[in-house]
Amino acid sequence: MKYNFDWSIVLTGEYHQWLIDGLWLTLKISALSIILATALGTLVAVLRMTKVKALEWFSLAFTEFFRNTPLLVQIYFWYFGSYVLLPEAVNKWLYKQDFEFAAGVIALTVYTAAFIAEEIRAGIFAIPKNQLEASRATGLSFLQAYRYVILPQAFRIIIPPLISQFLNLIKNSSLVMTIGVMDLTYMARQIESHTFRGFEAFTAATLIYLVISLIVSLSINLYNKHFLRQIKY
Amino acid sequence: MKKLSFALALLAACTMLAGAAFAGKLDDIKKNGVLVAGVKDSQPPFGYVDEQSKQIVGFEIDVCKYLADKLGVKLEIKPVTSATRIPMLTQGSVDIVAATMTHKIEREAEIDFSITYFPAEQKLLVKKGGGIKTVADLAGKKVGSAKGSTSEKNIQAAQPKCQVISYDTYPMAFLALKQGKVDAVTTDAPILAGLKATDEKPEMWEVTGDFIADEPYGLGLPENDSDYRDFVNASLMEMWRSGEYAKIYDKWFGPKSKCPLELKWKMELWP
Repeated sequence: MKYNFDWSIVLTGEYHQWLIDGLWLTLKISALSIILATALGTLVAVLRMTKVKALEWFSLAFTEFFRNTPLLVQIYFWYFGSYVLLPEAVNKWLYKQDFEFAAGVIALTVYTAAFIAEEIRAGIFAIPKNQLEASRATGLSFLQAYRYVILPQAFRIIIPPLISQFLNLIKNSSLVMTIGVMDLTYMARQIESHTFRGFEAFTAATLIYLVISLIVSLSINLYNKHFLRQIKY
Repeated sequence: MKKLSFALALLAACTMLAGAAFAGKLDDIKKNGVLVAGVKDSQPPFGYVDEQSKQIVGFEIDVCKYLADKLGVKLEIKPVTSATRIPMLTQGSVDIVAATMTHKIEREAEIDFSITYFPAEQKLLVKKGGGIKTVADLAGKKVGSAKGSTSEKNIQAAQPKCQVISYDTYPMAFLALKQGKVDAVTTDAPILAGLKATDEKPEMWEVTGDFIADEPYGLGLPENDSDYRDFVNASLMEMWRSGEYAKIYDKWFGPKSKCPLELKWKMELWP
């Protein structure tokens, strides 16, 4: 059976607008989750270094738990499981809001933060230990030493693996469609079910994901090449 | 002259070959002694796995059984999903699809349909006493449905002011309803009745709503095989006339069944 491609449906009109809406949501949920995941990941990594047993254990448990369970299961957990954990009144209020989006952001953030924490810890280990000792000796507090001396260098080292995590997050964001968040993949599937033109819709979605990922990857590499090099320590 | 007779011979040979290639499905089924039916395996009471026997049973299986008996062949069941049922039929993995499939003109491009064998209608499943009775009450509310279904499109058209949230399956949409994440679930009434019956307290929920859309179910058949289609249509009508249909309907949807649904419909009967 021969398939006749009709690209006009994804390039113009209503279905084109659906793809744009989906793209916008994918960008929104990815950007928000990347920012939150980086912050949370950094916190978890630093907690692991505090030499306070309770905090270290918490950090270890967090990383291992969220890194070693499937993201899809975690999405269902935050979306359906939260019902059992939270009081009735809170649930009622939450469900009036855009809870699907919120649950998606939480799941993506927590899952990716676990990976980012490990990357950052690796970066911190790569900085010679005597730098921390030296900065403490000059009178910086533990947090100051991390904030001004260790982390800036660690981040620079881990930029390539960190980008991989960001790219993974962007692609993983397609899983939130299972709880009804209307992202790019969701929209592609909607177009397929409305028009039976799955090839066009999913090709368009694939290309859009590819372009987003390439742009993220290229821009951070450029930044790395041109700006970070000039920073002198 | 010689050339012409050669051409004619060639033509005759081609027609014969083509004839062989298009030998009807009916002959194939009789020759193989088995009718392969694609059915749902998680859509009570149409097709689902019985807890005790671990076999796929249901209304649609009984309809296929009737057809197989009529042909004097064995019935073989293959589970399909909404996404796989049409491809499996076009590539010949199944001979017939009886899987809660709405007869839509769009789908005619790829397969053929029998006459309607089940008159489904789209409805709402809501919490009893929750204040939602009709489609008009859904303004500003969240409604759960399943991806790729006709009901998803219909509800958005019927009530543009509601927010449709599409889950992967109907049981997930029902779970969201139980937790209060959506205010109603919408799809074909018998599927809703089936969902309701799965709850521990079915009396807490009710199937309601005014007219949204008709969802006539037809048996999916291979494209352009009119002998086969004639046989299936004639058998369905005979099933109705002999009272066999009513018997099977009563078994799955009668007052004593798990999801009672009154039969207010009459099959299209050709004289």
